[in-house]
Amino acid sequence: MKRLASAALLLVVFHGAAGAQDVGPRINRVELWLKAVMGHEAGSVDESSELAASWSNADMRMLWIDASAIVQLMRNPKAASFSVRAEGETRAQPIRYTPAQLRRMKVLSCAAAGRIGDIDSVCADAAGELDPDLMRLGMLSRAAKLRGDDNYILRRGALLHADIAMLAPRAGEPMNSMPGPGPRQLRLEIADGRGVDLFLVATHWELARMLLDDVRPAGSTKPAPGRDEMVRLWYRATAAWMQWQESHDTVHLDRARAIFPADADILFLSGCQRGAYAAPMIQSALQSAILPTGFRFDLGSEKAELHRAEDFFRRALAANPDMPEGHLRLGHVLLLLDRPADAAVALRIALGATDDTLLRYYGQLFLGASEEVLGNVDAARAAFTEAAALYPLAQSPGLALSALARRRGDRDGALRELRRVFDLPREQSDRDDPWWTYYVAQARNADDLLEELRRPFVHAEVDR
Amino acid sequence: MALAAAVSAGAQPPTFTSKVEAVRVDVLVTDKGRALTDLGRNDFEVFDNGVLQQIDFVSYEQIPLNVVLAFDMSDSVAGDRLQHLRSAGAAVLGGLRKEDQAGLVTFSNPVVLGSALTTNRMPVREALDAAGGAGNTALVDGVYAGMELGESDVGRALLIVFSDGLDTVSWLTPGAVLDIAKRCDVVVYAVSTGRAKPEFLRDLTSFTGGRLFEVERTANLGAIFLDVLQEFRQRYLLSYTPRGVAVSGWHRLDVRVKRKATVKARPGYLAGS
Repeated sequence: MKRLASAALLLVVFHGAAGAQDVGPRINRVELWLKAVMGHEAGSVDESSELAASWSNADMRMLWIDASAIVQLMRNPKAASFSVRAEGETRAQPIRYTPAQLRRMKVLSCAAAGRIGDIDSVCADAAGELDPDLMRLGMLSRAAKLRGDDNYILRRGALLHADIAMLAPRAGEPMNSMPGPGPRQLRLEIADGRGVDLFLVATHWELARMLLDDVRPAGSTKPAPGRDEMVRLWYRATAAWMQWQESHDTVHLDRARAIFPADADILFLSGCQRGAYAAPMIQSALQSAILPTGFRFDLGSEKAELHRAEDFFRRALAANPDMPEGHLRLGHVLLLLDRPADAAVALRIALGATDDTLLRYYGQLFLGASEEVLGNVDAARAAFTEAAALYPLAQSPGLALSALARRRGDRDGALRELRRVFDLPREQSDRDDPWWTYYVAQARNADDLLEELRRPFVHAEVDR
Repeated sequence: MALAAAVSAGAQPPTFTSKVEAVRVDVLVTDKGRALTDLGRNDFEVFDNGVLQQIDFVSYEQIPLNVVLAFDMSDSVAGDRLQHLRSAGAAVLGGLRKEDQAGLVTFSNPVVLGSALTTNRMPVREALDAAGGAGNTALVDGVYAGMELGESDVGRALLIVFSDGLDTVSWLTPGAVLDIAKRCDVVVYAVSTGRAKPEFLRDLTSFTGGRLFEVERTANLGAIFLDVLQEFRQRYLLSYTPRGVAVSGWHRLDVRVKRKATVKARPGYLAGS
């Protein structure tokens, strides 16, 4: 996987109140949205995703509200009053529709739920009010239901909005475009440890998460996303993608853990996220960021974030002790928390359990640092030397060896090692130091996870 | 502390051996902001951990300089700022004497030797012109490399660091490099720009007896660099062989002059491993 961006992004979420808004275009957008969900080819940028990506942030916030209502109608066709509760809010907000709007929403929900023609006050007659595309949606949704998966719109909607967020995001909007109901998301763009831009982004991730919250596994009469493998994979893959892109979203993994509290992979990614939050890149950006009143980062100090990371890694390893990278990253966090002896133990477990070159590089580098702090100079030198052998074009082991020699009073040795660093290729692109990408390397399998996630939905003949 | 010893006061460049356990201290003496430049050995008193030492020699403007420029070439240094930095670096080169040496280290993600120490200004200028801004900031790594380069040859080492003060990617930790700074004779001056608190650079310049300049804009960078060079030239180099104190550990230094003046020198040094 090629990294697409070097900037770290940080998301802040603010929720406004949901409320009634104007009518015609609003319901029409719901209809367009349902068609886009049906027409989108997972993993691609197509007409459907481009259409949904073109909607403004205000449009998306309203769609989030109306999609919530559609989901409620899909599960309860007789529903007449609706409410929504944005992520992080404790109180639900009522949604109001005119009678004409409500009827149209109910008709649309018949198609979305695959209930066209069902003996139902609206769905029985819905066919006459639906165009061919929506009729096809109704058939596809019904077919999925007959196969035991009554989640057609939910799963495909989540894939559509994740794809837009990942593949074709609309440009951010300025802060003064904030008024209006629905969830809002602010993004701070970071470059070289400084916040360089702050803007509103469309709430595609919020909409996707909201849809998946209602997934009902086969045989379940209630939403139970925590028992659904696709939802689990969706969170794993999208969280990994975010980390690979340094597009951090605390709420995303908070929601993932609420649904999958004991999932080792999600806990591992949570630890990685908190570890990244403790790193200078983000900590320094926090110092320089100026947020509007009422907004805040859900981030603590370096130490606080390291403690959070340690907790997540320990929980991940409790769920799956056979995770070398979990031990490795726990060891690094312990090193940063000034517990080098504990770090060395964790790092030796990691090194004993993996042949992976990248992980061994990190492990030896961190073990060397731990041993140096412990005063074990020979062990430190051996570990740094091993790391240097694994990545001959990396500068970090060379600098570590040089500084180790210098601190021991070996000035000649320090210069000798430094000259090796100076002899490396000058251009960053020609050097190969995995230390520089440590805070994204945990997500190096993001592409594979996304492919695995999308595979059942790409050219899915069963749906066609 | 393993450099320094016999210095010839004649016209020939002084030489050092690495066998004698001598301590060098760069000292700036001012009165009401003006440097005092007529002091001799008998005007100084050096206390090492409170013990008065016998000063072996005092040198003023006799020993060639090793001036190392360690410049941030990350994303945050681009456009006008990069041009100002190049011009300021060239100004320093123009202010050097024939026998002085200059070197260049740049850092973004990679730490790059732009030019080793040399009395030839051309390779340093060319390296300055070729350096461009991209990537993150390995400030701590770059400073370490600059200090080591400064000590890689005989002479008085001055390290001039320019950065926005934010380290985002170094492997070496500030603590480790500060520890090394306390063990070496390099005097570090730093110019920091940007909103971040340059804590590392503040500690570094303090421990080495140098100075930190925090600036909003870089248009005046050349003048600042030349001031640094002039101030460094006005410093005395004192050398003594420690007596009556423990060999290892932190040595608190107290340098005094026997007249009314302000004395600036590093606060101490680390010896032993």
